[in-house]
Amino acid sequence: MILAGIALASPTPAAVPGAGIFTSPLILSLSIWVPVAVAIGMNFIPNPRGRYDTLMKQIAFFTNLGIVFILFIAYNQFQTFLPGMQFEEKLPWLPSIGATYHLGVDGAGMTMMVLSGIIGITAVLASWGVRERVRSYFCLLLLTQAAVNGAIAAHDMFVLVLFWGAAIIPAALLTLGWGGPRREAATWRLVAYWGLGTAALLIATMTAYAASGGGSFDMDVLLKATLTPRVQLAVGVALIIAAATRLPLFPLHGWVRDVYSDAPLGVSVVIAGSASRLGAFLLLRALVASNADASRLLAPLIAILAALTIGYAALVALRSVDLRSAAAHLAMVPGAITAFGFAALTPLSIAGSVLSLFTGGLAAALIVATAWTLSDRAQTRSLQLLSGLAPRMPILTWVFVIAALGLLGVPLMASFPAETMILFGSFKTQPVGAFAIVAGLVLTAVALAVLVHRVLFGEPNHDAPAVSDASLGETWYLGVMAGALLWVGLFPGGPKLPGTEQPIFDPGLVNVMSAGLSDIASPYVPPNPAATQ
Amino acid sequence: MVLVPLLAFVLAATSVRTRRSAANMAMLGALVTFALSLLVAWGLTRRSTPFQTTYPYLNVPVAFTGPVNFQGFGIDIILRVDRLTSVALLVLEICVIGGIAWHRLMGRSEPGGARFYALVSVLLFGAVATLVSYDLAELFAFWGLAGGATYLLLSHRWGSVESSLGGRIALVLPFAFDLSLLTGIAVLYSHYGVQNIANLVPILHSTPGVGVKSMVAASILLFVGVTGRLGLWPLSLWLTRTATTAPPVASALAQSVWSVVAIVILYRLMPIIAAPNVATLRDLVYASGVAAIAAPLLALFGNEPRRAMVLAGSGVAAIGAALVVHAYEASSTSFAVVGVACVLAAAPARAAATLAVSAIAAAMRTDDLAEMGDGRRRMPTTTAALLLSGLVITLSAAGAISLAVASGSRFGFALGEAVLLVSITAMRVPLAIAIGPLRRRRAFEPDRVREGPNAALGWPFWLVVAGAALAIASFFPAWIGFLDGQKHNAVPANGVALWVGAALVGVVVTVLTYGTNKDGALRLSAWLGIGLGRLLDGGAAAFSRFIAEPIAAIAEHISDWIQQGDGELARAAAASGRLALAAARAPAVPLIVVLAAALAVAVGLLSPGVFR
Repeated sequence: MILAGIALASPTPAAVPGAGIFTSPLILSLSIWVPVAVAIGMNFIPNPRGRYDTLMKQIAFFTNLGIVFILFIAYNQFQTFLPGMQFEEKLPWLPSIGATYHLGVDGAGMTMMVLSGIIGITAVLASWGVRERVRSYFCLLLLTQAAVNGAIAAHDMFVLVLFWGAAIIPAALLTLGWGGPRREAATWRLVAYWGLGTAALLIATMTAYAASGGGSFDMDVLLKATLTPRVQLAVGVALIIAAATRLPLFPLHGWVRDVYSDAPLGVSVVIAGSASRLGAFLLLRALVASNADASRLLAPLIAILAALTIGYAALVALRSVDLRSAAAHLAMVPGAITAFGFAALTPLSIAGSVLSLFTGGLAAALIVATAWTLSDRAQTRSLQLLSGLAPRMPILTWVFVIAALGLLGVPLMASFPAETMILFGSFKTQPVGAFAIVAGLVLTAVALAVLVHRVLFGEPNHDAPAVSDASLGETWYLGVMAGALLWVGLFPGGPKLPGTEQPIFDPGLVNVMSAGLSDIASPYVPPNPAATQ
Repeated sequence: MVLVPLLAFVLAATSVRTRRSAANMAMLGALVTFALSLLVAWGLTRRSTPFQTTYPYLNVPVAFTGPVNFQGFGIDIILRVDRLTSVALLVLEICVIGGIAWHRLMGRSEPGGARFYALVSVLLFGAVATLVSYDLAELFAFWGLAGGATYLLLSHRWGSVESSLGGRIALVLPFAFDLSLLTGIAVLYSHYGVQNIANLVPILHSTPGVGVKSMVAASILLFVGVTGRLGLWPLSLWLTRTATTAPPVASALAQSVWSVVAIVILYRLMPIIAAPNVATLRDLVYASGVAAIAAPLLALFGNEPRRAMVLAGSGVAAIGAALVVHAYEASSTSFAVVGVACVLAAAPARAAATLAVSAIAAAMRTDDLAEMGDGRRRMPTTTAALLLSGLVITLSAAGAISLAVASGSRFGFALGEAVLLVSITAMRVPLAIAIGPLRRRRAFEPDRVREGPNAALGWPFWLVVAGAALAIASFFPAWIGFLDGQKHNAVPANGVALWVGAALVGVVVTVLTYGTNKDGALRLSAWLGIGLGRLLDGGAAAFSRFIAEPIAAIAEHISDWIQQGDGELARAAAASGRLALAAARAPAVPLIVVLAAALAVAVGLLSPGVFR
């Protein structure tokens, strides 16, 4: 398939940034199977006593760099005016049950793929300090990334369930094998909650499959099938459970504290940045885009869960005595805002939530990674010991402040347009929920203020262990995430020369993400006031 | 004009390393911005229409059907400069230039010099961009950016517990106000689908489906959001709490820059705020009036000089806000600009007062007026600057009120009280510092108190001069007419005399009180301050004990229960797994017999006729 993808590559015909390099009908497959192939291939490279550990890391790094390059090309070649799926690949797989190997991305999917690419390379950089069983570690990391990419690109529910569940195994093994003191508890919680989500997704899929006549798992068929209201409701509830375990949303968030605290840094970045966003992506793809009646019925439930999540996360972060635990709970906030946008069910709020998939993933990954790095450099996670670190850790201070501002959706951050669109689009349909979200954001600001001022700007604690600022490598992976947040915040529509309309070298994330949005949002368009009078 | 401070920031962040070069870069940026603002202001004198230009920032198509306004979402960068905006730009740039110049000499002991000046450039950029913004989302974006820079400036002193506590409030409270502003804009957008202020105002009452309740909610949210940054009591806590913990220039800029920005934005949004009904406007006028009286009144409780000057300035800001809102309530919208003129006049004086009182407090090593004194002999220049700034703050409101308010009305009476209290508060601090002895204390020698560097002494005076010029100008209808482009009638001399007289009465009362019994007056203030402090501490403790802590504890307990709960579930699952394994190993037939017997016994016992 890789050879076919390379063999079929041809120069890009259209005059777009990235033109003249290449295009391929198998771009999505390359992003999924190249990491798998490299992971398998790495296992055959002898590595006696860790002699080639650096080579393993370099292989993983350049694999991700290649994936980022491929995705960058795809991002630039993406046709922003086409409503349907692009880069489609469809092969018959299990015709007896109607399962096909069907991949494709619309605007939202392309946004998620770009996020996954950035998070992937960041995770590899964040894992550069791994010393034990390096080959196994990076094999499993590549497999996790491949599973996430597969779940994003899947356009067949059977394939989606497979990739959705496949992400659990390498993530759990990484946590168990390379995690912190509480790695066993973290692993079992991850497996239990994500397993519950996978079971719920499987139930939803099979219920819809059976109710639609059992002909096909293809999303174009299965998700557009006419189902009875009761079946729609049951499928919707199961999908919400699946999404809530992955995002996560209160009360199915039990894995968050242990996993983000005790999983290896690279794994935490992948989970917080892209794997957890799959929950919201599932809501968009399988509920909002396909099942308008169930979406409207279940919207209040999603809104309540989102509002509870953001309030709960802020309050627990406020009371936490562990830096990583506080950051873990704060990382739930962007997911809650994204889910709320899907609950508001207006075209604008849905668009904001699609953008929030990208910005929320970056913000969550950044806060988790910064807290992890800071506690590692300060040699303690205890908030009773960490105090007044700013003068001795200026780089981490700036990154932490950027992460905090990114969580809050302050202007100049990419999360600002996303949260603005969600709030602007939700006041008409979910006014109470919108006020609750705003109140939750104020609580989040309180929690962040206490955290930032205690850890960074307070009086230095002379009894605390010695601290050191971020190294060059740590600055790189934190800088990539912070830079992406700032870049999209400054140029959401792509950088343009003054007086011109065409963006240069970046088509603009909001332009790409809006492809196909009109179709998704068409059932939720408010009636024209003149028509109702 | 808008981009110059941003360029200064970028250059400072990327290439500047020393304190002096950072100060020079920030000053250069501020001076160039000032020069360009002067150029724009001169250009406006030669035309009758504002300058305007538009750039697209964000454009997202979201639907192909439905109401046209909601088929896409866009944020445009609309830059519009009219005469009022150009004057406001000049005022805030003067405040920034004075602050930078003063800090270059007096702020050498402050940590993080390069960082400080870079943040001042960001604040200037955000403030300038906010003033020229005519798209609501764009306005909020720059407002938020300026707010972020303000927070970082107010929490500048790393490593200090007090600064850390003040910094938390400087983040949380203004953020809550900013969210209120964003929420108000969101409510408006959700009903109208328009963000351009010029396009929104004409359709406020002609769009079907928009109820009064929504409009009232939007009005109140917008008002709270703007007046929070304006520093109206009780929303001024973020200014009073950081007055002693933040660097003096940070506090000065937070008061002066934000008062200018907020009052101009309030004036710009008034057609929207006034849209629902007169009752809402009346309530807002009452709130402003209460703030105008409460702030200077509370400044008399306690002897902390910086807090007192902040509250005096807050009183003037509240008077300005009340004038703006009252003009719309009374359907005399042409007088709304006098409220803006009042705050513009007070802004440089507030900055000067903050700088002067901070220098005096640092030299006298105390934040208690009861321990200060003899300023006219030991620090004559700075004390004089403080005295003059107090006078300008006092008189800044008089001219505006005389143009807009009938003295015989209840509103006029309330404002008269406010002017009286502001004058008492604003004059109390310089008089307490100027007269009376400066007593020796432990580890403090009064003879060592002296003025700061000569080069720094002039800057508060320049700020006071700017404020005085604006305050005097506000007595002239021609100036008010220049600001809003409308014709205003002259005020009778007795009207002016009445309001100036009210201010002077306060000055005279203060002079007499402090001149005859300064220690007694300060003891009374201290006693009142202790009582107020106990009341506030009690309230805060009660809120923490009965509301905040229980809610946070509930959330924490839920988190622990969930962790324990799924732990128990895991143990139960493991136990059932072990049971299943054991059952698989156990012989099947005897097990089935035992289970059947147990089932039979249970059914037999539960069947009617045995126990029932």
